Amino acid sequence: MKSRMEGCAWVFGRRVTTDDILPGRYLDRSNDEVGAFAMSGIDSEFAKKVQKGDFIVAGPNFGAGSGRESAPYALLHAGVAAIVAPSFGRIFFRNCINLGLPPVIVPDVAGIEQGHALIADLEARRVVDRATGAEYPIQNLTGISLSIIQAGGIVPFTRRRLEEKRART
Amino acid sequence: MTHASTLTEKILARASGRDRVVPGDELWAVADRMIMNDSSGPRRLGRLVEELGGVLDPEKVVIVSDHFVPAATLRHAEILRETRRFAGAHGIRNFFEYRGILHNLVIAHGLVSPGKLLVGADSHTVTAGALGAVAVAVGSTELATIVASGEIWLRVPETIRVDLDGALPGLCDVRDVTMRLLGDLGTEHALYRAIEWGGRWINEASIEDRLVLANQGIEMGAKNAIVEPTGILPQAMRDAGLPVIEHEFLVADPDARYSERHRYDVSTLEPLVAVHPSPDEVVAARALEPTPVDMAWIGSCAGGRLADLHAAAEILRGKKARVTMLVTPATQDIYLAAASDGTLATLAAAGATVLPPGCGACAGVHNGVQGAGDRVIATATRNFPGRMGSREAEVYIGSPYTVAASAVAGRIIDPREVAEHGARRDA
Repeated sequence: MKSRMEGCAWVFGRRVTTDDILPGRYLDRSNDEVGAFAMSGIDSEFAKKVQKGDFIVAGPNFGAGSGRESAPYALLHAGVAAIVAPSFGRIFFRNCINLGLPPVIVPDVAGIEQGHALIADLEARRVVDRATGAEYPIQNLTGISLSIIQAGGIVPFTRRRLEEKRART
Repeated sequence: MTHASTLTEKILARASGRDRVVPGDELWAVADRMIMNDSSGPRRLGRLVEELGGVLDPEKVVIVSDHFVPAATLRHAEILRETRRFAGAHGIRNFFEYRGILHNLVIAHGLVSPGKLLVGADSHTVTAGALGAVAVAVGSTELATIVASGEIWLRVPETIRVDLDGALPGLCDVRDVTMRLLGDLGTEHALYRAIEWGGRWINEASIEDRLVLANQGIEMGAKNAIVEPTGILPQAMRDAGLPVIEHEFLVADPDARYSERHRYDVSTLEPLVAVHPSPDEVVAARALEPTPVDMAWIGSCAGGRLADLHAAAEILRGKKARVTMLVTPATQDIYLAAASDGTLATLAAAGATVLPPGCGACAGVHNGVQGAGDRVIATATRNFPGRMGSREAEVYIGSPYTVAASAVAGRIIDPREVAEHGARRDA
């Protein structure tokens, strides 16, 4: 995946749960189908409005609650390129890394408003709000988690690891 | 510099083949058990596992169909069929359907034990920490890679230590303990951290009560919640017919480093309620403004235990539920025990409908989901908007005593009120 991404901000509040991101009534849908229902717990029009490459910017504990992986899949298939928040629900956070959807931790997102054009640069480790010029240092995505995102997710990452292991033995 | 470790650190060190780990270390660990359900399992990860070379060790894998049983739609039936097919095709012996909820079965069938590392695709995977194991939830895609490779990457969490002392007052339940903590600390407090439960109250705590302490750790945001396997636990495990390998029982070092410590005297607790729409909006049941309910529900991995059914029956004996009352035993064995000891008859006589074992309404899938405008008091695991159906439904959480008492009153009530009225009428 690209380390530098550019897109518009969709701003949400604190503790958006996975029930908000993908309500339980869609649990019987396949991962490929859920993009159309992304964020439908709080904004039924979101999936229609969001453009490929856009960012979600949210308050603390984004993705709290149920560990359903269809929640990050919904955002991924709706076109969301990255999520910027001060903290994330832990399982959701891990799922995002494993699907190659960067969950970007910056301490304070209060200055970023709806529709602002953002740049997230994982290598330079910062998010830039082009509307205000403000820079936000990225606090996470180093080590194994960055390697997984750069590999495009845990599946390609594991495939390579297993191949290396088999080659050694 | 000491080498003292928390319980979670010790287990992660063992599972990663290191002498010692500290918070922040990133490591690869060998998982001892990998668990999944019908929603998170084969339908989502089966093809991936097969692409990655198949199941590395079928003995380590547990699959339970608990979300979609019994099938309410054709789609559910297809999911159940695919789950069954995958388990059979890959030689997974620990496959259960129509036996109850994954998390309860993992404990009841000895599929987790002290000192182990268990990973699972379901947020309440943390429940297995009840037996002194590190139990961590992951997504389906990641679980596929773990099932195929045997390994998981983990960051060693800091640990919050919670010590419990004292004796619970009458008509209070372990759920009042976890609600008190959620109310005090909030749903974000333990993010990325481990919660380690210990103390004198824990020493005497049943397996069922330990299960709730571990289970509710996820609602505090924890990576894992672990109950020290101390006190009566080895004997309780033997009594339950579970294998006990005492040299694998690990406990925290007395001088382990915690990111914070909390101590609670549970004798000061009273019946509590978590108010819609968050598990941490906790108030005393007696202090709640008049709140009529449309339904009362006893069920879920945290609230469908035999102890929950017994508590509900204790309140409902000789009384009538004024509103719809549903009861979903967590497992078939609990259903059978409650049928054999007369509990189900007591509940049914009070007007309760007993439903098939499983996750039921807690997952918002079927068997009692809530419509717009409905208000329910339940022993559900969490009450975020939309959890049990419509976002316009309200879910309040209480102990089984509080839920049953509220069913009798038709509004949310402190169970001591109903019990007092009952005592007077009986006299």
